[in-house]
Amino acid sequence: MKSTSPQNPNPLKKKLASRFLKAMKKLSHKISSSPSPPSTAERRRRHRAVRAAAYASMASAVGPRRAWSRALLRKLRSKATATSGRKTARRNPRNIGTRFLGLNELCDVVPGGKAMDSCSLLSETGHYIKCLRAQVQIMREILDSSSSSSSSRIL
Amino acid sequence: MSSSSRDRSSRITEDEINDLILKLQPLLPDSMSNTRVSASMILKETCNYLKKLHKEVDDLSERLSQLLASGSFDADTIRALLRR
Repeated sequence: MKSTSPQNPNPLKKKLASRFLKAMKKLSHKISSSPSPPSTAERRRRHRAVRAAAYASMASAVGPRRAWSRALLRKLRSKATATSGRKTARRNPRNIGTRFLGLNELCDVVPGGKAMDSCSLLSETGHYIKCLRAQVQIMREILDSSSSSSSSRIL
Repeated sequence: MSSSSRDRSSRITEDEINDLILKLQPLLPDSMSNTRVSASMILKETCNYLKKLHKEVDDLSERLSQLLASGSFDADTIRALLRR
């Protein structure tokens, strides 16, 4: 478990955590107001909602200062219209020849990667990894603290 | 200081790309950080790692949605616990 040392509290993680918890709280109200038990479709919908909340809180915590978060924010905002087609033709900014073939795969896993030049893609990747890791950690901690607190609850 | 590429922005050298790729190495899990590995390998592992992280988010989302459904999710308690 985390120690209570005050040094280096990781402000990004705190921001991520608070946004994600807010989103979870909202979802929790929605869910508790609906009749039980949920259908399979409803369960799938909830799963997708939590996942969307994870990426949404990541993107909004980082805000517009990163290309990947901007791309995520754009994508989340256009979810309502559910357009799956790309507006522009796929650009291929790989200006380094064929030596680093892995960049083509990398641009598919980083949000907005397809529109980035190689340098931006690589620097965005680093930041994206850090945020994803923090998000995963937060989700695990929520699960862990829920299971431990519920087991200590006196019935 | 290494000279930055002040020429046209489209001229990014392979060496610069290589250096940027090497910077990703410490972010990768486990054994990758200690040994000298090729840039191509780092790129490949980075892709795999990102896919793995995406899958984790997916799996954890599933478990969290079940937690929400169980009614034992208490945002305030959790918030306090996370802020330790």
